[in-house]
Amino acid sequence: MPHAQSGPQDRYFRHLLVAPSILVLLLVAVFPLIYLILVSFQGITMTDNDTRFIGFVNYLHLLEDRRMWEAVLHTLMFLLIALPLELILGLFMAQLFLDQLPGRQVFIALLVLPVVISPIVAGATWSLMFDDRFGPINQILGWIAGHDVHLLWTIKPELVYSAILVAEVWQWTPFMFLLLLAALANVDKSQQEAAAIDGAGYWQIFFKIVLPSIWPVMAIALMIRALDLFRLFDIVWALTKGGPGTMTETLSIFTYNQGFKQFETSYTAAVALVIIILLTAALLWTLRRVELSR
Amino acid sequence: MKETPHGVCIKRKKHVLPAVITLALSLSAGAASAQSAAQKAVDAAKKLCNGKTITVVWEAGLQSLDPKNFSGPMWEKLTSCKINVVEVPTAEMFTKIIQEYRAGTGAYDALNIIPAWLPDLAQAGAIEQLDTMVDKYGYRAELQKIAPTYRDNQMMVNGKIYAFPDDGDVFVMYYRKDLFADAGLQKEFKAKYKYDLAPPKTWKEFGEIGQFLTEKLKAKGVYGASQFREPGYGNFMFQERFRNEGGKFFDANMKAQINNAAGVKVFTDWKNENKFMPPGVEKFGFVENLAVFLKGESAMTISWPPYGRFAAGYIKDEAMKWVPESKVSGKVGYALPPGGHPELAAGFTLGVASTSKNKELAYLFIQWLNSEEISMKRVQLPFALRDPFRDSHFTSKEYMAKWPDAKDYLAALQAGSKTGLLDLSLIQTDKYEEALRQGISRLWAGEDPKKILDDVAKQWDDITAKVGLDKQKAVYNAWAAKSGAYPK
Repeated sequence: MPHAQSGPQDRYFRHLLVAPSILVLLLVAVFPLIYLILVSFQGITMTDNDTRFIGFVNYLHLLEDRRMWEAVLHTLMFLLIALPLELILGLFMAQLFLDQLPGRQVFIALLVLPVVISPIVAGATWSLMFDDRFGPINQILGWIAGHDVHLLWTIKPELVYSAILVAEVWQWTPFMFLLLLAALANVDKSQQEAAAIDGAGYWQIFFKIVLPSIWPVMAIALMIRALDLFRLFDIVWALTKGGPGTMTETLSIFTYNQGFKQFETSYTAAVALVIIILLTAALLWTLRRVELSR
Repeated sequence: MKETPHGVCIKRKKHVLPAVITLALSLSAGAASAQSAAQKAVDAAKKLCNGKTITVVWEAGLQSLDPKNFSGPMWEKLTSCKINVVEVPTAEMFTKIIQEYRAGTGAYDALNIIPAWLPDLAQAGAIEQLDTMVDKYGYRAELQKIAPTYRDNQMMVNGKIYAFPDDGDVFVMYYRKDLFADAGLQKEFKAKYKYDLAPPKTWKEFGEIGQFLTEKLKAKGVYGASQFREPGYGNFMFQERFRNEGGKFFDANMKAQINNAAGVKVFTDWKNENKFMPPGVEKFGFVENLAVFLKGESAMTISWPPYGRFAAGYIKDEAMKWVPESKVSGKVGYALPPGGHPELAAGFTLGVASTSKNKELAYLFIQWLNSEEISMKRVQLPFALRDPFRDSHFTSKEYMAKWPDAKDYLAALQAGSKTGLLDLSLIQTDKYEEALRQGISRLWAGEDPKKILDDVAKQWDDITAKVGLDKQKAVYNAWAAKSGAYPK
């Protein structure tokens, strides 16, 4: 059936239909962004009434703010360690549960539980687990060592990163596992069988057939987790609040501290804008890479 | 002028009326001055209320049980004004108050304010100046009866009243009388250190006694001492000890002095003292330290006044079930911390939000709460953590009858209030304190005390420069001139 020609009246009607959603979008996304940009060029602090425009002062301060760049470094470190760990463990678990094992559904449900817990609750729970006096981790280590163990997991620099990473990987590996399990379940079995008959080994099949098949899902999972890790806040906050000193301060915690504890409203706006630009660039680059690989 | 059948009579009345009014006013003024400040507030509020609700910001947890379970319902019964309590964790109170002020919603009427925040909140315009209403409702005389330290130091900004001191927070040393009186321990201690085993007067004595008691009692599960070491609490402990060691926060040019010999000594001593304290003391805050002391695992500690009440074990209240059962009831003595100048750590004042739509009612509520009559009841509430802050509280017969040693306890609080040291209070105080808190957490991470304090001092100087050197210097000088700023 041929499409009816749309006249100007139809076009207006269509525009009218989408107008409310565009208006809402403008209100909730574009206006705050413009306001954020404006504020970032002012000198607003919550405890003062000065709202003068101060040009690029906040951005210049940002460039030389060592604490902020250290926060970037901590964030990237968590990202670069946690992401591969979650991916490898998630993939391993997905492979394990690919076959129909007895009680498979029950185990999957149990494994997925950490994901449904709020990260701040997970952090608080791990904080208790790592408690030096009453935490089960020190107690178990004490049983193994045969004497009382009082490791200060959230205070000592040599322990604090591993404590955060354990909590982070514990909570989010199941997310990787779930997505990868779904992706692996959809890989064409006949191709793998044909490759095996042709003499291909396990790793050859994995890298030549399985990985390309699950790559789109894996890439999305990696992207989501990378974004989450870049915004890492709750677990670190519950465990260390960014300490000792600022040793585990992530970019999100730094931003929160600046905005809501130090009341540096305009400076925080500048930091937030830079984060938005960096994340958007990273996201677009990743999406393009995923698109190219298909 | 309009003629009336009663014209003549009215003219006569014109002469009589001023005299009658004058007489009536003087009679009512006499009656009013005889009225308590609490009653004045109630009477005035009755006329203004009309079923209105006052929203008060209160520290979350036990503190807020006061307006929720006691004073709020009582006020509502007396005046028909309703009280809505917004509970906010201490760490978020300043943020919430300032955010609400900036948003200008008028969501809060009355506020609980930590005294160190007063310059910031007053400068921002977030809190109401109260002088006019104090005079209007005849509260000035009762304000004078607040213990001098709190009255003179925690009420005004630039000579104007912005809040009513409402909580006599002061650090007290609690020690185990039974252990200190042990004849064997006394003999051994004297033989080793050549002075009597008694509550330490100096930090050197504290270190020696703590070390000695740990050596002698650790096998029985008792450590010589335990203290707040968690950075949030350590901040107060540092401020107290630094000044008792002779430290000044800034020099005449407003350059930070926290990294001087006194500061480094405090940090170094802390690290050494941890060795005779319970393992994990680096994480001890209010609850952890309390649990250790009440279980009888520590011979000395320093903390806020509620420790004394909890340790006495006289409190039987549903809300207090979280407090471990005291195994040291009747065994606890009270003294000033070493140095003799305890920190008047944190504390609370009551103020009125400048954005409130019910300022007068909010004022009347806080006048009533803070009054001699009502505050006397409030500081005896077992659950509310409000501590004595009026002269009459320290000498209350009713309070002294609460447990056998209550008299000594109140005497220690009063002594502390007389020699106590104020928390540092500047513009953007929390930034200075946050730098110090981070420094303390770096200390427990194992960094060098001098290097940490050099960094903290640099951060302090940067904050001062950002606020404005002259502006901050004026605020600091005004603070430093107060009676409780430095040991006299």
